[in-house]
Amino acid sequence: MYVKAEPATDLNKNTEWFTYPGVWTTYLLIVFMSWLLVLSIFGCSAGMAWTIVHLCHFAVTYHFFHWKKGTPFADDQGIYNGLTWWEQIENGKQLTRNRKFLTVVPVVLHLMIGELWYLIGSHTTNYQNPMLFFITLAVFVLVVAKFPHMHKVRIFGINADH
Amino acid sequence: MVKIPFFLALSTYFSFGLLFVFGQVRDFFRKIFDFFHFSNLQGYAPICSGQEDFIVRRLYHRVQDCFGRPISSAPDVWFDIVHRYSNDHNKTMRRTSKVTRCLNLGSYNYLGFAAADEYCTPRVIETLKRFSPSTCSPRVDGVFLLFFILLLLLLSGTTTLHKELEESVANFVGKPAAIIFGMGYATNTATLPVLIGKGGLIISDSLNHNSIINGARGSGATIRVFQHNTPSHLEEVLRQHIAEGQPRTHRRWKKIVVLVEGIYSMEGELCKLPEIVAVCKKYKAYVYLDEAHSIGAVGKTGKGVCELLGVDTADVDVMMGTFTKSFGSCGGYIAGSKELIQYLKYTSPAHLYATSISPPAAQQIISSIKVILGEDGSGRGAEKLARIRENSNFFRSELQKMGFEVIGDYDSPVISIMLYNPAKIPAFSRECLKQNVAVVMSGFPAVPLLLSRARICISACHTKEDLLKALEVISQVGDLIGIKYSLAGSNKQHQEQGAKKLE
Repeated sequence: MYVKAEPATDLNKNTEWFTYPGVWTTYLLIVFMSWLLVLSIFGCSAGMAWTIVHLCHFAVTYHFFHWKKGTPFADDQGIYNGLTWWEQIENGKQLTRNRKFLTVVPVVLHLMIGELWYLIGSHTTNYQNPMLFFITLAVFVLVVAKFPHMHKVRIFGINADH
Repeated sequence: MVKIPFFLALSTYFSFGLLFVFGQVRDFFRKIFDFFHFSNLQGYAPICSGQEDFIVRRLYHRVQDCFGRPISSAPDVWFDIVHRYSNDHNKTMRRTSKVTRCLNLGSYNYLGFAAADEYCTPRVIETLKRFSPSTCSPRVDGVFLLFFILLLLLLSGTTTLHKELEESVANFVGKPAAIIFGMGYATNTATLPVLIGKGGLIISDSLNHNSIINGARGSGATIRVFQHNTPSHLEEVLRQHIAEGQPRTHRRWKKIVVLVEGIYSMEGELCKLPEIVAVCKKYKAYVYLDEAHSIGAVGKTGKGVCELLGVDTADVDVMMGTFTKSFGSCGGYIAGSKELIQYLKYTSPAHLYATSISPPAAQQIISSIKVILGEDGSGRGAEKLARIRENSNFFRSELQKMGFEVIGDYDSPVISIMLYNPAKIPAFSRECLKQNVAVVMSGFPAVPLLLSRARICISACHTKEDLLKALEVISQVGDLIGIKYSLAGSNKQHQEQGAKKLE
């Protein structure tokens, strides 16, 4: 099965690769593989494994999409130094397909955890999930960070330029 | 437009992800160790802001032995590569005095002028003795001296050689006049800001060279990019921006310039010049053509991409080129109408303040142009041009027969073998060097993430034996590291057909 790799008109080499085919599949595969990995290492229940994956996913995506600013190479002479990766993709155009996809993934993960806990483990814990608070907080933070209104917004000056 | 097998795209993303993760983990631990290590630069700002050296430190330095190999002879078809070793896992490389004779598949030596030539070299040495290696002044200084002191042009950077060179180049390219600069990169970066400024619109091809991008950024004009080599997208971008006007004020654009290259050095593709010139004429935009790789290398008499594609040189407004590739020298030129060149002579900073081109280098260009045009009395120029075309087409078709994914147009001397996976870059380079073949590799960020490649530049001086040896080595290495993607595709088709027959 062949895919076409059309050269994009995005000048920013840091984000241009995201428009090529195969990125979404790779992302989902990595999340799924890490769930399998956690299951095999810790030997915990499916719901607990998803919780761990969700929290790690939150930490990693928040750090690389919304905290780290600039690009990992010096060729562009620092014109993106004040922008996080999320603000750089597709030249800052909001509500594109890629952005919608990335917003939906943490929500879907959250739903999966909720379902699995309910179906599998909840009758032993009286439908209480101690991690539910943190998971909900993680989803909330991630989704709010991806809103169009939060483009280039730095709350209380956290992570602002010097 | 390249077609990649889907699984290959997935594995390439995964490989880059893995390299990235390892780099981040190492950086994290490096930060912890450095916290305890006292530095005597307290209070100074860091040299690199943020993560801008991440790719260099964690990806490039791991495979540094494949790039920047020093050579100790002229970059002819066979040259001497210096051996290097590293004591700290490729962070720093040290030279030894041991050299190996290798086949050169990477130098831009299209017509073979990189090494000593029987016509050019004696004349260059004579010029060196007569004019000395450097003019020691910019082009214009002599004029001012004459104006004020009425002495002879003692300190002039413009010699008779420079005048002869400008006429020779203008004649060769097919334009009324030309201006010469000492450095090819500086030609673009110093000319574009002078030709267009704030209030103008630059539309540049998405795969343009760094010098064009820097020149465009330095001009202050609004820059827009159109999809590589797609005249329909160029028309779309032109229409949209002419209709909208300047940003915020919506006034008319003062000037619109479209920047394209003759041959794109990373792909080996020819520009779709006739269509692009037609679009620009329709919307009254200027065309700036950078023929760095195509001048002297393509076309029946070597006059570049205009001759090859049948475009009238009067339709291209500014023709730029460099002498480093086909002429075996250094420097760049701009060719255009007499008014344009006159304007550049009193505004371009590279002409007013930069040292003029070295006289022996200028003589090399004049002599090589004479050889190409056949004015030296022998038929060597035509022979070279025929040979480079033959060599490139032979090499390309043989590689495709072997099953490699090769990109680049027919007749282009630049051939790119696609590798896709980042780990295959050092593998290909090191395995080829073990068999005494030197190739040039390109990876992210010089090329798109998925499309890492090995780039081969064919020369007119490559003999049939050299090419056959190169093909043999590349085929062996290709089998070893698994880059014969086309073969795999056609094998699968045969298997499917075979399975259908059985059913």
